[in-house]
Amino acid sequence: MQHEGLTEMLILELEGLTIGYRSVNREIVRVVDNVSFELEKGETLGIVGESGCGKSTLVRAIMGYLRPGGQILGGNVRFKGTSVLALKLRELQRLRGRQMAVVPQNPLSSLTYHMRVGDQIDEILQIHRGLNRHDARDETLNLFQATRLPEPAQIYRRFPHQLSGGQRQRVVISAALACQPSVMILDEPTTALDTTTEMQVLQLVKELSEEFDTAIVYITHDLTLTNYMCDSVLVMQNGKIVERGTALRVFKCPKEKYTQDLVAAIPRVDQPPRHKKSYVPEDGDALLEVKELSFAFRPAWSASTLFTKQEFSRAVDQVNFSVRRGETIGLVGESGSGKSTIANIVVGLLAPSLGTILLDGNPLSVLAKKRTFEQRRRVQMIFQDPLSSLNPRQRIETILTQPLRAFFGTSPRDARDQAAKLLEDMELPLRFLSQFPRQLSGGEQQRVAIARAFAAQPDLILCDEITSALDVSVQAHVLALLTTMQRKTGTACLFISHDLGVVREIAHRCVVLQEGCVVECGTTERVFTDSKHPYTCRLLAAASRQDGLRDQDKVLTN
Amino acid sequence: MKYPSAFEVLTHSPGTMIGVTLVAVHVMVTLFAPVLIPFEETKIVGPVLSSPGSVENWLGTDNIGRDYLSRLLMGGRTSIFVAMVSITFAVLIASLVGISAAYVGGIYDDVVMRIVDTKLAIPGILFIALIVTGFGRSIPALTAAIALSYLPGAIRIIRSQALTIIPLGFVETAKLRGDSLPRIIWKELVPNCQEIIAVEFALRMSSSILTVSALSFLGLGISPPTPDWGLMIAEGVKNIHTHTWLILLPAAFISTLVIGLNLASDGLANALGLDAARGIN
Repeated sequence: MQHEGLTEMLILELEGLTIGYRSVNREIVRVVDNVSFELEKGETLGIVGESGCGKSTLVRAIMGYLRPGGQILGGNVRFKGTSVLALKLRELQRLRGRQMAVVPQNPLSSLTYHMRVGDQIDEILQIHRGLNRHDARDETLNLFQATRLPEPAQIYRRFPHQLSGGQRQRVVISAALACQPSVMILDEPTTALDTTTEMQVLQLVKELSEEFDTAIVYITHDLTLTNYMCDSVLVMQNGKIVERGTALRVFKCPKEKYTQDLVAAIPRVDQPPRHKKSYVPEDGDALLEVKELSFAFRPAWSASTLFTKQEFSRAVDQVNFSVRRGETIGLVGESGSGKSTIANIVVGLLAPSLGTILLDGNPLSVLAKKRTFEQRRRVQMIFQDPLSSLNPRQRIETILTQPLRAFFGTSPRDARDQAAKLLEDMELPLRFLSQFPRQLSGGEQQRVAIARAFAAQPDLILCDEITSALDVSVQAHVLALLTTMQRKTGTACLFISHDLGVVREIAHRCVVLQEGCVVECGTTERVFTDSKHPYTCRLLAAASRQDGLRDQDKVLTN
Repeated sequence: MKYPSAFEVLTHSPGTMIGVTLVAVHVMVTLFAPVLIPFEETKIVGPVLSSPGSVENWLGTDNIGRDYLSRLLMGGRTSIFVAMVSITFAVLIASLVGISAAYVGGIYDDVVMRIVDTKLAIPGILFIALIVTGFGRSIPALTAAIALSYLPGAIRIIRSQALTIIPLGFVETAKLRGDSLPRIIWKELVPNCQEIIAVEFALRMSSSILTVSALSFLGLGISPPTPDWGLMIAEGVKNIHTHTWLILLPAAFISTLVIGLNLASDGLANALGLDAARGIN
């Protein structure tokens, strides 16, 4: 690239930015400490670090926003030469959205519940780009097409809760791209997405950034991603930059201990599991059998659906599989492949359209409230988002004793003792009993959720993406605890994940789903090393990007 | 790093503190009015329409010779009482109906929401006036009318809050555990709607005080000889040019109380992280 107009090339400049928050005891805690970097037109910068390292505070500060209680202690943020921190609210508003766009981590919370997603993008186009309604609609459909949303016209009419996680994130990316910003900040945008979707989204972001010369700040905890996406990388820890360099160098030969640990904690699809799995007899009786399971969503209501016959799209289509006692089955597939739907049906939150579920050979009623007490106890579920799966108004003690008292009628005192025992099993301190979920970190919350599931002494636990909201190092710990508990109690586990590395690490057998159908099923090692179906091969290729695609890319662009 | 507590946010905002002070003063005056007043509020004690500043009647007398200060201090008691009782009923019933409608869904939810929609289509004052004229002008009828008129809006707000909580994991866990409906509502949903219920109460309170005053002014609310600010304004209208203070003083009492309540409830909403709740009404 030619450096003719240096000032014009420079999009973003941070000089020793330091941000502090006043803690309860009036001390100032430095959340971002002396961070400097420069971002040129079309450049992609990765910022890597685990939760709590100050990444999100940094993003907000770049946009000229601080959470209440925060203050700039020093340094400056310059966007195309103007200091963002000195701008008035009016001027900031003109900058945000049009010149700088953010793609946040949780797409659901950045979309309005009550508006159709199409209208939400239209609104941006009308306000920021002054398009009329008709043009805005066309442009929105174009954006949806560009972000590869299936059937844009249908999606346009849907509400956020009717979309899958991947689709929501694409809608949010469409919104960010709507005004062709000169810098786009992506705050862990693909954490909740499966690998192939993630790759498509990243590919898309890359293409679009090249097309419009958009500079990108990519925030993530995943070093393999920055290796794929970014030109250069900053590694942050406790608000400070601990390492910086080109993406490839940092990933391949990290210098700092912290970076090395980060790289090591990433579960790899292309390497055999690091821990030996428990032994499960090949010919053991099936604990859970799922036969010919199908599920169809009703199409979204609209004027046209009144008069035309609608195609029912099947979210789950004639799925068969079984789980043996003590076994871990990995259920993998892209978002929208029906993994969560299957879990919800098995646990009894959704009624299947067709098919039967057998527990120990006895058919289960479709909905949880029709099942017997014992059946409900024997199948437990752990949810993706640990915080929302724990009642914020209950102390951990209440959360853990509830299942004990409901299922076993344990007396309050015994229940408390058992709850303490469960905390111990999860390597959590006893003082947590009197604390509330919000006072715990994400990993600790998820460990409480696991403890709650085991409190019922179930035969089968359904884990719906239980580590996707966690940092890699925390994830490793949570999974280790889960497998230890499983081994101790002989509980079987249906492990739903889009992270193939994790599945390879813990599942005995795995079932690969594509658009609601089982495309491949077998022992994990067989599926991962000798996959028969092209879809599985594609998933694996996307997941092992760190050693394939990117390196070639690098060579080509340099 | 910790965020400031709700209490800290509440006490650090000057607007909120002004609001809380105004409300506190009003509450004290209203509570202790019976011992503070120099004369019985319904007794004729002096000449008609005497000017303020006399040793006997500090604020003069009204149009039939009752002590004006006594009436002013006592004038809030009835309307505040009516507003409190009716809003308490409205918010409690709305919590129950709104949360259960959100959770149960289906036909129950549909029926409740259509009734709510129907009610929301009728102007509030008109609705209350109809009930009060229909059932006679009495305090119980007035209270019931106001409670009924505020019920639908409150149901809507509380239901929408419950709808955001129901899909969360902890509610599903309770469902899967086989917890009973009342238990799920009481243990899982109600505690997580507390904030919105509190703010709803505070916001509706100020608006219902205004409603009571307006109704009294129109002759549909509190009946004479009970002193009431709205009523006092109506009585003062005849002498508006010569004795303006007879209107201005009760008006000032109403507005300081309402402003105080609004500032305090805004602050409360802010402290509880419910900025969106400020928009209602």
